[in-house]
Amino acid sequence: MRRWIIQTIAFFAGNHYFQSIIRNEGFYQGPLKRFCFPYFTCYSCPLAVASCPLGSIQHFLSLQLIPFYVIGFLGLIGVFIGRMVCGYLCPIGFLQDILYRIKSFKFKIPNWLANLKYVFLFGLVVIGAYLTAEPAFCKICPVGSTQAGIPLVLWDPFQSSLRPLIGWHYYFKVSIFALFLLLIISSRRFFCRVMCPLGAIYSLFNRFSILQLRVNKDKCIECNSCELLCPMGIKVYQQPNQADCIRCFECVKKCPTKAVYVGW
Amino acid sequence: MSDGKNKISTIISVFLVGGGQIYSGRIWAGIAFALTFYGTIALIKIIWTGFNFGFYPLLVVWIIIWLYNILDAYKGYCYEPPPCERNCPAGIRPWIYLNYLAQDKPAPLSYIPFFEILGMVCPAPCEDHCTRRAYDDPVAIKHLKLGVKKVWIRPKARKSNASVGIVGAGPCGLSLAASLKLRGYQVTVMEREGYPGGMPAIAIPEFRLPTSVLKKEVDEILSLGIELRTGVEVGRDISIDELLDRFDLITIAVGAMKPLRLDIPGEERVCYGIDILRRAKKGERFEFGRVGVIGGGNTAIDVARTLVRFGNEVKIYYRRRAEDMPAEPEDREEAVEEGIEIIPLVLPIGIEGKRHHFIRTRIVDGRPEIVENSEFEVELDQLVIAIGQEPDIDFLKDKLLTDQRGFIVVKNGRSSHPKIYAGGDVVAGPKTIAHAVGHGLRIAQRIDQNLRKIPGFFAWLGKREYPFELKLLPFTERRRMMIPHRNSESRIKDFEPVELIPSPDEMKREAERCLVCPLRYRP
Ligand code: SF4
Ligand code: SF4
Ligand code: SF4
Repeated sequence: MRRWIIQTIAFFAGNHYFQSIIRNEGFYQGPLKRFCFPYFTCYSCPLAVASCPLGSIQHFLSLQLIPFYVIGFLGLIGVFIGRMVCGYLCPIGFLQDILYRIKSFKFKIPNWLANLKYVFLFGLVVIGAYLTAEPAFCKICPVGSTQAGIPLVLWDPFQSSLRPLIGWHYYFKVSIFALFLLLIISSRRFFCRVMCPLGAIYSLFNRFSILQLRVNKDKCIECNSCELLCPMGIKVYQQPNQADCIRCFECVKKCPTKAVYVGW
Repeated sequence: MSDGKNKISTIISVFLVGGGQIYSGRIWAGIAFALTFYGTIALIKIIWTGFNFGFYPLLVVWIIIWLYNILDAYKGYCYEPPPCERNCPAGIRPWIYLNYLAQDKPAPLSYIPFFEILGMVCPAPCEDHCTRRAYDDPVAIKHLKLGVKKVWIRPKARKSNASVGIVGAGPCGLSLAASLKLRGYQVTVMEREGYPGGMPAIAIPEFRLPTSVLKKEVDEILSLGIELRTGVEVGRDISIDELLDRFDLITIAVGAMKPLRLDIPGEERVCYGIDILRRAKKGERFEFGRVGVIGGGNTAIDVARTLVRFGNEVKIYYRRRAEDMPAEPEDREEAVEEGIEIIPLVLPIGIEGKRHHFIRTRIVDGRPEIVENSEFEVELDQLVIAIGQEPDIDFLKDKLLTDQRGFIVVKNGRSSHPKIYAGGDVVAGPKTIAHAVGHGLRIAQRIDQNLRKIPGFFAWLGKREYPFELKLLPFTERRRMMIPHRNSESRIKDFEPVELIPSPDEMKREAERCLVCPLRYRP
């Protein structure tokens, strides 16, 4: 199946609480919200039916608890398929895939910048939330602005109980959101590579996951097409299971010599 | 998209974010920029709750978006370079002219000197890396240069009084001269020989590169208004200090023309490959009889093929295996077809009259090593040495640094003397014409930056990379076209070109084989 179809289905699988819009009642608060998605979707999104894994981690940590169940859940997925969730399920990844297709001036980021996402993970999601007892990453999360912050404020389901709360922090989040849009248009999966703490968690498993990419060095002619088409800009023939690989299998499908294949 | 359009779209984008993009046909990019810019402004306007210090980051981000939008309007959509482009020493973008050829449209390209000559004699490193290898054979990138209907885009030249002197009218010197002239500088080229062209004029035999083609190309360059002074040898007719006084900058592109010696007893009797090629081009005939050529480079093959055409019986002696030869495999095969015998793994050790002594070698760890007690003797009428050349730059030995092999040491095209640039074979050792052209074009850019004192970042900003729209063509199953060769019996009798030019229709269909990698392989 085409990847974009799966990505679309995954988006609606997680975000289908249209009653919130129809009945104008804010967001879903049913029992499912106790569970978290394997991918990135804001808890406060009016359509969301479950909660954000990062939000849950921060929630537990800010209560000084260790989020065993979230870690176990993400770890289990990671051990099997590594970062494949990013390539096939994550709606934010999907958004970046779409926006990168816009024909604009593009630039490449240096590879070391990709380590910044671990800073976001440990600095904000883990230590930040633990120390401040607040969801620290959510304060800058552009996904939250995209899915919840901006639509909720514009739509205003709680009859003007939100707008008076707007202060400098909201302006700040809008500025991050605008920068986020610019960067994901002009650089490949910028958010996934540089910022995403969830991607950082999964990428720790990439080297060891059961699903692995393999390159047949005899067939490969080093044409570099795989780097050209990889959403993460990975030179597959040199580092097939680099921490950033989102297992989208574009390289497997399009390698002209069929040198890349999925192995175990 | 023509080149003027991006200037207009840049101006539009300064005043209307996203407008320039829409003007130049990139609707979605325009919408995206407009939405991120005006959309967030509108959002803030709707929810405005009064000024606070959260407004500053917003302001910064709006300015960033505005600037990026201007940059985008100027630069346009950028492609990732495919292997053919990345491996071209002259910095040519083959996939672009291939795409125009396949669409049967004239190709607007920025000026590339020696374009057609490269189409005849370049060893085509681009083809060695072409992605199409994965399916069958590489696209015939090199030969298709001959089929492109080129329209050179000439940038509007600024007038400048700065003058640049170039020593050596070879591919590097002339490319540099052309490129600088197009940028508006006063250029004077000095050449030691009586005619311009350098190595291609002197040492590429007529059957690989007809003089008429070379002359056409050189005349095109000279017609830009370059002052050429032939028969001027720096160090003899004019000193280097005089040049430094006369010109703001000078560039040494004298190539590597002094043949390397073998240092064996009896070497007084031998000829050197490059001298034979030079004299043969002037119309001299060499009828030696049995000839041995020492060497495995392009010069060795060329000289052997030239001598065969004079009716000599030619053997090439090479110290490694035939497949290790630096010469192009195709040229080597053509030489064998013409009846030249290649004797690998031998080394000459001495000459006594017609008796030439050789010793056998073997390859140990990639290097040839002498096999003891394996001397043998061959009777030859003439030995020709073509084991390489070195630069002949005694006239500036005390001015700048050279390495131990006699090549000039450069950094970004500039030698250790601040007013002297250098490029081509005199820097890199004997390489291809494409390398020389590439050096010339890059040095021109450096000199331009240096004379106009532009920091590197601004030079990058001003460069418009891809001024055109390309089309992804459907994959064709066609195999690589055959390039017709004259048969070996007839071709060793004269100096007419060995490779014939395919028909325009054939070339168009060959160009369709290009996968257009940057468009086909993208996220
Ligand atoms: S696309 Fe395939 S053949 Fe080309 S470099 Fe990548 S793995 Fe190798
Ligand atoms: S390496 Fe292949 S599977 Fe991994 S992200 Fe790149 S294209 Fe997708
Ligand atoms: S297929 Fe076309 S674009 Fe790709 S490397 Fe070959 S010539 Fe270049």
